[in-house]
Amino acid sequence: MEKMFILNGQEVKVQDYKATPESVSFTYKGKNYYYMLVTRNDHEMILDHGGRFRAAVSSSNKDGEFMIMANGREATGALSSRKVKKSGDQGKGLISPMPGKIFKILKEAGTSVKKGEPIMILEAMKMEHSIKSDKDGVVKKIHYQVGELVQGGVTLLEVE
Amino acid sequence: MKIKKILVANRGEIALRVLKTAKEMGIKVVTVFAEDDKNLPHALFADESYSLGFGTLQDTYLNKKKLIEIATKAKVDAIHPGYGFLSENAEFSSMVENSGIIFIGPTAESIILMGDKIGSKKALEKLTIPMIPGYHGDNQEVDHLIKEAKKIGFPVLIKASAGGGGKGMRIVHEEGELSEAISGAKSEALKAFSNDNVLIEKYVVNPRHIEVQLMSDTHGNHLHFFERECSIQRRYQKIVEETPAPNLTEDLRLKICETAVQISSGINYRGAGTVEFILSPEGKFYFLEMNTRLQVEHPVTEMVTGHDLVKYQILVAEGEKLPLRQSDIKQNGQAIECRIYAEDPDQNFMPTIGKIDRIGVPTLRDVRLDCGFLDGTEVGVNYDPMLAKLVVWGPTREIAISKSIHSLDEVLFLGVKTNRDYLKRILSHDKFIKGFTHTHFIPDHKEELLPRVLSDEDMANFVATLGFSEGRQTQKFSSGEAFLKTPWTELSGFRN
Repeated sequence: MEKMFILNGQEVKVQDYKATPESVSFTYKGKNYYYMLVTRNDHEMILDHGGRFRAAVSSSNKDGEFMIMANGREATGALSSRKVKKSGDQGKGLISPMPGKIFKILKEAGTSVKKGEPIMILEAMKMEHSIKSDKDGVVKKIHYQVGELVQGGVTLLEVE
Repeated sequence: MKIKKILVANRGEIALRVLKTAKEMGIKVVTVFAEDDKNLPHALFADESYSLGFGTLQDTYLNKKKLIEIATKAKVDAIHPGYGFLSENAEFSSMVENSGIIFIGPTAESIILMGDKIGSKKALEKLTIPMIPGYHGDNQEVDHLIKEAKKIGFPVLIKASAGGGGKGMRIVHEEGELSEAISGAKSEALKAFSNDNVLIEKYVVNPRHIEVQLMSDTHGNHLHFFERECSIQRRYQKIVEETPAPNLTEDLRLKICETAVQISSGINYRGAGTVEFILSPEGKFYFLEMNTRLQVEHPVTEMVTGHDLVKYQILVAEGEKLPLRQSDIKQNGQAIECRIYAEDPDQNFMPTIGKIDRIGVPTLRDVRLDCGFLDGTEVGVNYDPMLAKLVVWGPTREIAISKSIHSLDEVLFLGVKTNRDYLKRILSHDKFIKGFTHTHFIPDHKEELLPRVLSDEDMANFVATLGFSEGRQTQKFSSGEAFLKTPWTELSGFRN
């Protein structure tokens, strides 16, 4: 069967996917891969793929994403069944400049705003950062509520 | 006076660092924590720990009155300020001493003197400490400035006196460019700061940042613990530090260290301090500033000299004599510190947040991970993004580098993206390996420090790793049964 994962914001499709508790096999870009589980605890595992390597998966964040480490490399990943932000999502709305907490929403959805007018206040490093409208328009959608923690680089809200 | 109980007015790894030495000396430790830090180890592992409540830094870790109230209530003999926060705050040190509590640090006078960038330079010029040649005068006529620039010798840096942020800044390599650069800098300075005064300084090409660890007691003993090389910086933030500094002749090393001691003895300094110098490729060095506290990167010095600097800070604060002479202090092998930050170097160094499921443990000998977090704790948005310091010792620099790279692989912070891979790229860079370090290393080698592209094999490894985890996380992940339920996985909720 074909199966899709999201890795670093990109869709990755594999074919002939088969998983049991002891092994995972699939075809990726025409090449067959077969992995055996040597041992594991709740986050870390040793996999064998003609040579052993360490791997680990974090618990998921609110967006259903995991941090994955495999053989020394790191990635962000998600199971395709989950809705996740893909890298293409960025640029549509106003982006959080850094991780922070939604401190205040000054303009609710449906309010009209002028370019440069603050819509939301983000708190980070114990300082307040206002998220200002990049154009004249109407606040279309606010993706987060007051008090929520957000990662850097996510779309906070959209203005149309 | 014997210190029996210390309050550490700090958080994270440095609070734990002070706690460790205090415990080894049989001293009781009181820590403080802001409420959003209440699950971090500095709030958990002390003899007593008090909440600073919620609020801004001013309300919590910088709340001088509250800290002294807690110290008084807990009946401590001394306060250790760590680094950052109130460590170089003369008002705090005076308040502490006026409450009858020992401040583990220099006198308020030393803090004030070194905190004043112009005043300190004036005081040190009297001690014949080398300063960057420059003209800081009021005569701003172009002809006069040209004369001064020629006196200093090219290249020179022209910058706005009111300065900052590179506005009104020019590097001039030859006389012909000078008058145009001066008028350009002046008009930019006028626009940015409403003041067109400029100053001229010798421009050091590819400078190195070399600093000297000092320790002085109150009996006239002023010792140095040799130098540290801290040139690998990003936006003035140090990332990799080491000692001994590579490619430094013994003569120059000693001259730099002795100049630093000239400063500590000249101002009759007390406790731990660090003098920072700019070193030119020609071997000329100039005073930059003095930090009147323990430095973040002090562990590399401890690894190479085998001395505990916090212990000496405490002894000096007790009024004891330092129990060693300069000739007892030797450099043995090489130590490198890598600062592990919660940030994504490949997304413009954006800070990252999240829950740390697991912190990897370094397994090699003579490797130290000074870390302020535990498995299951959260990295939030309120504090400095430095998670830990990996400090590695090796008998040679080559071995210290390879051990550092191995250890960086081990100290995974599962759940929070860190700069570990970026640090590995720096340590593996040919120029770093050869010891060609200077403060523009990061921008100059930007291209070579880009991440290695993920191969198909890497992607397949990720797919397999995700595959083995699918269904294990919790029921809410639809596809597949939860398999391999063991008491170990069932218990995982306890870590939250």
